[in-house]
Amino acid sequence: MDDSSLPDRQKVLRVPADRADLAEAAGEGDGTTDGDVTVARVGSTGVAALDPLVSATSGGGTAFYANADPDLVSEVAADLAEGSVGVVGEPLGVAGHVLGPATLPSVPATPLDLGNRRVLRGAGWHRPTEPEDHAAAGGFVDASLEDVVAAADGLRGRGWGDWCHDADLAPALDRARDAFGEAAVVVNAHGGTANADHTDADAFLLESVPFAVLEGADLLATAVDADRVVVYASEADETAVERARAAAENYPDPVTPFEVVTGPAVHRATEPTMALEAIEGNHRLEARLRRPGELPVLNGAPALVHTARTVAHLFERMRAGASGNDPTDHGDTRFVTVTGDVETPATVELPEREALETALEAVSPTDGCKAAAVGGRFGGLTDSLDVSVGSDALAEAGLGTDGVVEILGEDRCLVEFAGRRAQLAADTNCGRCVPCREGATQLTELLRDIYDGDYDEDGIAELLRVMDDSSVCAFGVEAARPARTAIDAFDGEFEAHAEGRCPAGACFEPPEVPQ
Amino acid sequence: MSSDHQAGDVPPLTEDIAPGTATDPPVESDDAATVTVDGTAVDLPAGSTLLDAVEAVENGTGTDADGEGNGTAETVPALCQYGREDIGPRSTCRTCMVETDSEGLVPACSHPAEDGAVVRTDAAAAVEARDVNLDLVLSNHNLRCTTCGKNGRCDLQDAAIENDVEEPRYGVLDDRDAYEPIDDTSSFIQIDRNKCILCNRCVEACNDVQVEGVLRMEGSGSDTRIGFQNGAATMEDSTCVSCGHCATVCPTGSLVEKGIEDATTIQIPGFTQKNSVGKSYERDGSPKGPMTPKKAAERTERDASGEAERGRESAKESASDERRDWP
Repeated sequence: MDDSSLPDRQKVLRVPADRADLAEAAGEGDGTTDGDVTVARVGSTGVAALDPLVSATSGGGTAFYANADPDLVSEVAADLAEGSVGVVGEPLGVAGHVLGPATLPSVPATPLDLGNRRVLRGAGWHRPTEPEDHAAAGGFVDASLEDVVAAADGLRGRGWGDWCHDADLAPALDRARDAFGEAAVVVNAHGGTANADHTDADAFLLESVPFAVLEGADLLATAVDADRVVVYASEADETAVERARAAAENYPDPVTPFEVVTGPAVHRATEPTMALEAIEGNHRLEARLRRPGELPVLNGAPALVHTARTVAHLFERMRAGASGNDPTDHGDTRFVTVTGDVETPATVELPEREALETALEAVSPTDGCKAAAVGGRFGGLTDSLDVSVGSDALAEAGLGTDGVVEILGEDRCLVEFAGRRAQLAADTNCGRCVPCREGATQLTELLRDIYDGDYDEDGIAELLRVMDDSSVCAFGVEAARPARTAIDAFDGEFEAHAEGRCPAGACFEPPEVPQ
Repeated sequence: MSSDHQAGDVPPLTEDIAPGTATDPPVESDDAATVTVDGTAVDLPAGSTLLDAVEAVENGTGTDADGEGNGTAETVPALCQYGREDIGPRSTCRTCMVETDSEGLVPACSHPAEDGAVVRTDAAAAVEARDVNLDLVLSNHNLRCTTCGKNGRCDLQDAAIENDVEEPRYGVLDDRDAYEPIDDTSSFIQIDRNKCILCNRCVEACNDVQVEGVLRMEGSGSDTRIGFQNGAATMEDSTCVSCGHCATVCPTGSLVEKGIEDATTIQIPGFTQKNSVGKSYERDGSPKGPMTPKKAAERTERDASGEAERGRESAKESASDERRDWP
C-alpha cells in the first residue's frame, strides 16, 4: 500500500471495505487507475440505509452515492478520471471543498449531516487499517501522562460493558495509577450476540475507525504505564476483530503491543467481569463479585475496563485539545443506535444535549413508532423520545443508557415485549445469583399470569425491586427494566390483558364462534 | 472462593482443575474495624466481613446504648454461606442483604467490614430483598421434606422456619416433569439436583480443599447445575474418589451419603425418597476400573463437552426471543 494519506491524493474514489465487487468496478488494481484515481476501501458511516455508500473526491468537492451498484461505480470512476464529480447518476449530495479533506465532509440534508460527527469523523472516509489517514486527521497525538489524566476528568464510561458505566473515569484511573507500570487496560468492544448492520456502537467503531479506539487505549496505557493492553470483542464480529488486529499490527509505537482477544457471542459476555473471565480463558462465564472501591483484576493485575466508545471519546477529547480547543469545553457526544421496526438501522453521534428523537431522522420506521425501548437489550420502554441523550436525563426518565433505541411499531404489544425480554433474561443469565437467575424466571411467570387474569402489580414491582437491589452484576439490574418501565408507561395495556384484551391485537386468538 | 491460589504454591494437578466459577476478589477487610449493627457496636479483627459483624451481634457480642449486646433486629439467613475451610462466600442466594449508611443495600457475606460502618438488618428494603430471595431459592427447590434424608438437618429448612415462611410467594419445584433423575450410581454419594440451591460449596470443597477436580458448575440461566469436569453424565463415570466432602458441606439434601439418604424421612408406607422424585440413574453393574482414572486422559472429553456447551448457549441466545411461544 502507498504510505501517503488519502488527502494528499488528487482523485479518490471511496468504496466500502467489505465490497470487493465495487472496488473492482472502480478499477482497483495497483492502487491507481487511469487518470490517477485512487480507489480507497473505507469503513461504514454507520447509516446502513446508505450502504453501500460510494464517494468520489476531486480537488473541487465530493459526490456521495447511496446504494451504489457496480455499474454506477464504473461510471463514477470514469467521470472522476476526467476530473469531474457529481455529474453522472443521482448523487445523494455533493460537498464542496478545496483540497482533500482529512475527515468526512458534511453533506447537508442527509443523514450524514445529522448530529456532530467527531469520533466518527473518519468513518466512511478513512481506510480503517491505514494509520496514515488517522494521522492526517489529527491522530497520534503527542500526549503526556498529565494530559491524559486531565482529559479523562469528567468523562463518563459509555455502555454497560464499561466498569465505569455512567460514572467518571477519574477515580478508576487514579487507582490504576497507584499500580503504575503493572496495570492492564482492557477495551471492551464486545457487542453481545452480533453486530449486524453496525447496531453495536463498540464493534462498529472497531470496524470503521479502529485507530480512534486503539489510540484511546494507548492514551490510557500512557497514563498508567500499562503492562498490557487487551482489545476484547465478540467472536461473532469477525470484521471488527480482523480490522482491530490489522490496525493493531500497523499502530506506530504503542506503549505496549495490543492483544486482540475474542469472547463467546452471548449477551452476558459484555459485562465487565465476565469479559475479564473470557479474556482469562475461563470456559464458563459467570459474574465475579466486586470489592467496593477497587479495580477488577486481569490475571492478577488491576485492570481499567472501558468500552470502545469510552476510549474513542477520550481520544477525541485529546485530539480536540491538541488542536487548540479545550477538550472539556464543548460537551461530549454520545452514540445512538436506532434499530427495531425500521427499514435499516443506523448509528449516529449526537451532542449530549440533543434529544433522542433527533436520531430518528437517520431511519425510516416501518410501522410508525408506538413506543421505543431505550438502552439496549434490556432497555426502558417509553412513548416519548423527547429526552436528551445524556446519561443523567436518560436515568431520570428511567431509561437505559447503553445507546440503543429500539423502535416498536404500532402493532407491537408491550406486555408481550416485556414478557419476551424477561424470558430472554431467564434463558441467558450466567446462573450465579438467585435474584437474577430465579428472579427472571419468576418474573416471566408473573407476566404470563396476566393472561389468565391475574395481574399482581405489587408482586411484580416487589420482584423487580429485589432484582434491581440485590443482583451480583448489571445483568440482573438491567433485566428488571423492560417490565418496570412498560408497567409505568403503559399500565393500561397490562390491565387490558388481565381482562382478556390485547389493545395491539397481537396476543389473543379471536374467540371461536359457537356453531 | 475458587482459583485464587498464588502461582508458586500450586500442586501440579491444579492447573487442570476447571470448576467453571469466576475468580472473585478477596472480600474480607484489610484492617480491624468497629461496626455498628442495629445500634450495637462490635469490634472485629482484620479479615472480617459485615456478616461476621451481624453474626457477632446476633450472638450477643458487642455493646449498645445500654452497655449490653441485645442481638440483631432481624434474622439474616445468609443461606449459601459456609464460612469454614476457606469455602465461600459464593454470595449466590443474596439472603444476607443488609442496609449500610454509606453504600445502601449490600450482601453482608461478601462485603468487607470497614471501620465505622453502620448496618441495619431491619431496613425495609433489606428485609424485602432477603425474604424475596429466600422465596426465590424455594421456588426452584423440591420441597419434599418428608421423604428427604436431610429433614431436620437442612440449612434451607432451618432458614425457612426461622423466617416464618408459610407459603413461599413463588411456590416450590413440584412439577414432576421438570425433575432431574436422582443420580444413584455411586456406591457412596447420591445426588438429587432437584434439591440443589447452587451454593457451590461442594465444588469448592472438591476443588479448593480436596484438590480432586471432579465437580464443577456448568450451564447458565435455568440450566445451571453441578456437573463433572470430565463431562460425565453420572457420578459413576466421573473421576470421584468418594471422599465425601461434598456431602459434608451440602446445605440441603442434594448430596447425601449413601445408606442414610432416607435416614430422616417420615415413615409412610409407599412413600420413599426415590419415588418422591420418580426417576433415577442406577449403577450399570459393570465392573469398575481404577478408582481415579488419570485426569490427563479426561481432558479431551472435558474440552469437547465445553465446546458443546458453548454451542447450546449460542442457540439459546438466538432462539429465545423469537421462537418461543408467548404467553
